[in-house]
Amino acid sequence: MEAKKISPQLLSPCISCGYCLSACPTYQITKDERSSPRGRISLMKEFNSGSIEVTNELFVEQSSFCLGCRACEPVCPAGVQYGALLEEWREITWTGKNLPLRIRGLRIAVTMTPIIRLLGRLRRVKRNTQKNAGQGSDFLMLGCVERVLYPQLSRVIAKRFPSIVINDDQGCCGALHSHNGAPNKGHEMALSLGQDLPGRIVTTAGGCAAHLSTEIGREKVIEFSEFVLEKILAGELTIESPIYIDGKIARIGLQDSCHLRNGMAVFQEPRQILAKLGTFIDMKSSKDCCGAAGTYAIMRPDDSTAVLSKKLVEIEAADLDFLVTLNPGCQRQLEHAPDLRKSKVRVLHLVELLELSLSTQTLEGSRQIR
Amino acid sequence: MRYIGRDIPRRVWKWWFNNHTVIDTLKRIVGAQYVLSSSDDVAVYKHDATPLFSGTPDAVVLPRTTAEIQEIVKYAAAAGIPVVARGSGSSLSAGTVPIHGGIVLSLTRMDQIKEINPAEMLAVVEPGVTTAELVTAALKLGLLYPPDPGSKIISTMGGNVATSAGGLRGLKYGVTRNYVLGLEVVLGTGEVIRTGGRLWKDVAGYDLTRLLTGSEGTLGIITEITVALVPNPAQSLNGIAYFASLKEASHAVNQIIAAGLLPATLEFLDQKCIIAVDEYANLNLDRTAGALLLFGDDGDLDVVNKHMELMERACLETGGFGIEIATEITRSEQLLEARRCSLPALSRLAPTLLLEDVGVPRPYLAEMVAKINLVAEKYQVICATFGHAGDGNLHPTIAFDEADPDAKKRALAAFDEIFSLAISFGGSISGEHGVGAAKLPWLKDQIGAEQVALLKRIKFAFDPHGILNPGKLGS
Repeated sequence: MEAKKISPQLLSPCISCGYCLSACPTYQITKDERSSPRGRISLMKEFNSGSIEVTNELFVEQSSFCLGCRACEPVCPAGVQYGALLEEWREITWTGKNLPLRIRGLRIAVTMTPIIRLLGRLRRVKRNTQKNAGQGSDFLMLGCVERVLYPQLSRVIAKRFPSIVINDDQGCCGALHSHNGAPNKGHEMALSLGQDLPGRIVTTAGGCAAHLSTEIGREKVIEFSEFVLEKILAGELTIESPIYIDGKIARIGLQDSCHLRNGMAVFQEPRQILAKLGTFIDMKSSKDCCGAAGTYAIMRPDDSTAVLSKKLVEIEAADLDFLVTLNPGCQRQLEHAPDLRKSKVRVLHLVELLELSLSTQTLEGSRQIR
Repeated sequence: MRYIGRDIPRRVWKWWFNNHTVIDTLKRIVGAQYVLSSSDDVAVYKHDATPLFSGTPDAVVLPRTTAEIQEIVKYAAAAGIPVVARGSGSSLSAGTVPIHGGIVLSLTRMDQIKEINPAEMLAVVEPGVTTAELVTAALKLGLLYPPDPGSKIISTMGGNVATSAGGLRGLKYGVTRNYVLGLEVVLGTGEVIRTGGRLWKDVAGYDLTRLLTGSEGTLGIITEITVALVPNPAQSLNGIAYFASLKEASHAVNQIIAAGLLPATLEFLDQKCIIAVDEYANLNLDRTAGALLLFGDDGDLDVVNKHMELMERACLETGGFGIEIATEITRSEQLLEARRCSLPALSRLAPTLLLEDVGVPRPYLAEMVAKINLVAEKYQVICATFGHAGDGNLHPTIAFDEADPDAKKRALAAFDEIFSLAISFGGSISGEHGVGAAKLPWLKDQIGAEQVALLKRIKFAFDPHGILNPGKLGS
């Protein structure tokens, strides 16, 4: 069998200008060309030319050291699709014996739809099946992680947006497969989810949103912040006043979802919403990866912590009341950051903060918490 | 065989390298994790941002201190091993490609801003600090570091000094060499010298600071840099005007200068660049226009407004249309950013970009761009031109596919002819990117054989063993 190569047409646009270096979290830690997007592309080119083997230690190591945050994409004037390259790369390196056990386990776990569904039911994920739901309806995607860790998100959405259909027999979107060495399976799973949810798919996970929009079309996918903004603009949702804490308007920071920002260019929307919910503090590091990076926090906890710790100083200095996330992976990562657990900042998903605002509104307009 | 290792020939140091404990010595100096030597580890350090040039290092070292560098250079000098300094590897003249192998010194870990002093209006930085990092830090104290190379988000200060990097503010503010006050440098002998210092006025001795600025790593390894800063101007405005071609835009430039203005920004792009940039940045540019002139100035608000008005008038008088003055800072930044990313954005045209960096005296600008088009026609190559119109520094860029040997031959022929053109106008083969390995064959055509010989004698004084960046200037 001919050994698989990385698509030359994806590699050729890179002219090695190096503009990506400043955006890459791993390069910023090591300052070593090997762990920069340009260096990794050089490695892929070396692999294609046959001068390094598929089992080469550096080649395998760099494919997993990369966070896959895609921060290099928006800064690339040449338009190199690094995310697509990484998917192919991991497909090549993470095969056979080289496939990490934990990835193997996770991949199998998310394909077991009945079990995910059962876990969701145990965690009291809200359902809202509607008989005549079809192409014109909005469907909530219940993410695998979210169903187990953050079932409250679906309950809030069902309460606040009763028109959204929530089927709990849906499977995984396949992002985990695509980002972890099995893009074909990931593609299949996305297509099948697209058939299960025939209308517009509302997602609360930036990673899933970006994967689905690549696989089944951007117009089929609407991320939660886009959805909320759409409702606000249409006059169907009103945020009457900001959230107050101890008599002062809440200070809110944001953790962008990397794939949402870098893959789908959605980053203004959550900012516009947060500016209505309180005083929005746009930190310079809001856009930087938090180190969760899908399975990365599980696979490489030390590197993941190193990436996160670069951000913590600014978060602490910003004196925030809330730090808002747009992806359950980031939420888990930030919730578990020891430094943040000690400080007063509360890590919430945008859905939760919105609910906090709406529920206080209904009582007496602008209400105080605590 | 080229001049390399005047004392110790290549085959000898190569033998030494392979049969002695060079790697162990390097590891002892900087720590094992900062020495790369296996063929895959060093593979990513074969290239910089220049196409068609590569060289495999025998080792890559990432030192942290001047003392470590000194020890490495001393050792390399004794063994005759080439030492090539490298920052972010964004060189556009193959200046950091180790064409003869040896040790690549990656200075990216030396990334501390040691001091920014508002009272003395200067900054002291290590070579691995990026230009953008310095600019941001200085701005917090109300100061401006004026040199503005297009790749400033990654280019390092060490690289900027080594090439005397120019950029978008050249006309009004000058280039890197105008701001370097002092340097700490490890010479090819392993001696550490400090040139200049913290003073604008300092004539004690030959001006080695100026000589080392633009020396492209061939005279010494720069380990600390002191640069002058200026007060950040209160206001900065930018605008664009479209023209039928670069020729008309060049006339506008001459008109603006004739009006007695010295604007901070005068940049132009031809149609191919406009399209490529707009593809990337979605700036709603007029893709049907033949050329775009980006003009801007900084200073006090009323002065800037007056200058913008005069420039607008000059553009209108020379056939400019679709004039837009960016009233918001974000738009203004976007327009400048569009200009900065022109080169990489052009890679949308073809996989390989052969970039020129020629300069001509400003009065010949219009004639030069017209002749560049003739050359492109003659050799049937795709040539997109952008550049710093204000200071006569042009970047004609030939886009082709390396895999097609005929296309490559034509591209190289056109490349060669553009150099001759620039020289015939009394211009330069390189305005700001440096000579490196890529333009060395043309150096003699511009500066003459006597001067090339003098460069070699100067190099010998700094680097008697010929170990510093061999195959480049002075070799």
